[in-house]
Parts: sequence; C-alpha cells; structure tokens
Amino acid sequence: MNPKDRVGIHLSDAVAMIAAQMKQITVQVRGSRGWQGSGTVWPLTGLIITNAHVADAPLDDVEFSDGLRIPGRLVARDPDEDLAALAVSVRPPVGARIRSACGLRAGDVVLASGNPNGDSGAITTGIVHHAVGKSARLFADIRLAPGYSGGPLADATGAIVGINSMIIDGLGCAVTSDTVDRFLRRFHPTEAA
Amino acid sequence: MSNPLVDFSHELANTVEGVGNSVIAVLEGGRSGVSGTVWQPGVAVTIAHTIRGRDEVTVVLSSGEQTNATVAARDQGTDIAILKLPSDAPVAKQANDANARVGEVALAIARRGTEGLSATYGIVSAIGGPWRTFSGARVDRWLRLDLNPFPGFSGGPIVNAAGETLGIATSGPWRSAAVIPASTVSRIVDQLLKHGHAVRGYIGVGLQLVRFPEDAWQSLGISSGRGLLITAIAPGSAAEEAKLTLGDVIVSVDGKPIRSGGGLQWLLDAETVGKSITLGVVRGGQLLNISVLVREKAA
Repeated sequence: MNPKDRVGIHLSDAVAMIAAQMKQITVQVRGSRGWQGSGTVWPLTGLIITNAHVADAPLDDVEFSDGLRIPGRLVARDPDEDLAALAVSVRPPVGARIRSACGLRAGDVVLASGNPNGDSGAITTGIVHHAVGKSARLFADIRLAPGYSGGPLADATGAIVGINSMIIDGLGCAVTSDTVDRFLRRFHPTEAA
Repeated sequence: MSNPLVDFSHELANTVEGVGNSVIAVLEGGRSGVSGTVWQPGVAVTIAHTIRGRDEVTVVLSSGEQTNATVAARDQGTDIAILKLPSDAPVAKQANDANARVGEVALAIARRGTEGLSATYGIVSAIGGPWRTFSGARVDRWLRLDLNPFPGFSGGPIVNAAGETLGIATSGPWRSAAVIPASTVSRIVDQLLKHGHAVRGYIGVGLQLVRFPEDAWQSLGISSGRGLLITAIAPGSAAEEAKLTLGDVIVSVDGKPIRSGGGLQWLLDAETVGKSITLGVVRGGQLLNISVLVREKAA
C-alpha cells in the first residue's frame, strides 16, 4: 500500500499544515517580569491579544515568528477575563479566521500554539473537554505548559476559538473567542497606526 | 479537498455525542458527582465506592430527565454497583475487550450533572492478562490507558473509535485512568442481577505459600517448586468433607501448578461453583490427587 493512502499520514499532514498557519499568528510576549508567554494576532484588528498575566506593563516585548522584535503598547487589559491587547507599529501577518466557541462539541479536535519554556512555535493537539455553554472559558483535554499562555487555541480548520490561559486539573483552559470579541468591543482600542 | 483532521474531529465529537446517550450523571457520587453507564435496559453501572452507604441516588439521563435510581446491588470485589433506572435510556454498545489493541483510540466520556458531556482523548497504552483487585476479585484484563482522568469520569465508559465500550472508567494509582473491562462488567452485572451479589467459589481453607527444598520438589515432580500449605480448615466446609488436613500442601489445581499465593483463588470463579476440582496435594512425602466440590462463598 502506498503510505500516502494511509489515514494517519493524511492526518499528520493536516496537523502540520495547520501548525504552520498557527505559527504565523503566534508571537512571543515578554512582560515587565521577563515572564515569557505568547500572543495571538487577532484577525481584522491587527492587535496582539494575550493574557493579562503575560502583558502587565505599558510596553511589552513582542517577537514575531520571523524574528522581528518590537515593543507592543498595552491598549486594553482586563485581569478578571485574563485578557490584554497590544498595539504594534507594523501591520502584523493577516490573521486566521475567528470562530465562535459556542458551536464546539465535546470531542472536537483543537490545537494550541505557543512558546512553552521558550520553545517558539510549539504545537499541541487535543479535544474539547466540555461544550462551552454560557461560560467564558473553554476547557480542552490538551497538554498545555507555562509559555502557551496568550497563544491561540484553534479548531481542526485552524480557525481561532480561544486564547490559552490556564491549566486546571490537568485540562487546558482558554478564554473563548466570543469573550475576546466582547473585550475588544468594550475597550474600543484604537487600531495600531 | 477535504481536511482529514476535520473529518476526524467530527467523528470524535459524533462518537462522544452518540455514546453520551448511554451515559448518566450520578449527582451524589464522589466529591462533585460521578457518571454511570447504561448496561442493560433499565440498569446502569457505576463505581461502588463513590456512592458508599446510599440506597438511592439522583441521576440525570441524556434526555435531561432528573430522577431517582435505586442502588440495587454492589460488588465490593470489583467496585461495581448497579442502579435500577425508573425510565428507559439507550444501552451502551459493548466492545469485545479481548480484541482491544495497543495504540487504538480510547475516549473517556462523562456526564457532568445537568451541564452535558465531558470527554478526554487518549490511546490504549498497554494490555495485560487477568489480575486480582485488592479484595480478591478477578478482572479479566489489564488495560492501561494513556488518557487524562478528570473529576467525575468514574463510572462513565471508556470507548474505542467505533463508539463501543471497552470498559468502565475508574481512578487508578498515580492519577491514572483505570478500566474495568466490559467482559468483567457484564459478568458481574449478570451475577448481581441474578443473586444480588457476585458469586465466588469457596472450599474453606486458609493457605500459606511455601517453597519445597529442591531435592524434594524434583523427586515429587512438582514443576514450580511451590505449594500452598493448609493452615486452617473451616468446619463443615468442602475442604473438611474432602478430608483435607492441616499440614497438607496443595501443589496443583486441575493439573495446573501453583505459582503464587493467590494461586487457588484465581481458579475459584463463579463457573467452578458446583463443580469438582482436583487438587494435587503433598502429604507425608507422597503426592496425592484429592477432588473437592467447590461451593459458593457466602456473600
């Protein structure tokens, strides 16, 4: 049998393709404590969305996957939702699609990208643990580690469904894309020049 | 071109949703609720220790209906309890766990109160032979899972990619997920429904594992060199009727040599009750064959 005919090969090709897409929109963020996390280029806005526990200074370091390193200006921050938005002086890569996390079912495949322990552009895969319902949090059976914080959680098509935030009971906990949109509307942050 | 990851994702979510119809929430179980799996029409199984001391529990069915269920029976040996459901729920499709393979997909599915289903994903990481629980019950197969356990998953099904139940989830050592295989669950459920308790064989002896000196076991032709010394005989038991005496050493059962301290118990399962087994016994330097009628152990 041609090995390319095997389902597992097709699957790993698809994961590799989405990993490459996600890497494009994933940045490294360094806050005031030098704590290294991740950030996500948010589609349409050109802003970098990350966690409030990652970006805690008026200016935080942002490093893109191509190595470009520039300051990001904190334009909005909400510690309760664990969200922050950074504006940068360049037009970031065109982002992926956003998808509402409400349509996800338990068992749907999800992928996270980030910089665990400084490994830039790392990827991990898992499934939705529990449908979101009315919650602002999405729980996923996915193996996160410190450094994934602020990075994107995407569905099997690569569409962003959340921002990785915490590890609870061994499960990944992300802020839903819907919550991020509400956060952005609430703060009306001006788009970067 | 279709994205195989999207297909895979849909299949996993469909499996969770489909199997989820047979998964119930047991609200009083554990710290914040556990799950149960509908095993036969009107009968669900869950993990007994999570509902210790209760005769009745509140369950949530896949329909969303919240109702009371009677704890009909429990088996301390395998930690399985059966619940009688007042209304019908779809029965979980059972896998032949003898066909489980290392590397195959395993999903743990739970129902969290009224909030719907939860799942984690992994693979079957190792498969071993039969084993005994701490309380002496035989479990047909050891299935090790590479799968994240989560609060409330106990009593829910572990299913394969076809959505067939490999077994019932319970907590293993070191925050691992353990499985009571479907074949064992079915056997115990049948016994619990029929007798109200799990059936185990009993001949009424106290035993201690001993080793023979090398020249002795070679001259007697005992292949393992080990035996079980009879240290107690229950009055009126099958062992007494068969005229076994203190100091006899059992070296084989139906021709199979004794290898470990649990060696006799291994062979005294429900199917041996009412039948005779032949014990190879060393008495006064002679190897004798003594047949003993196995009785049912009082619950």
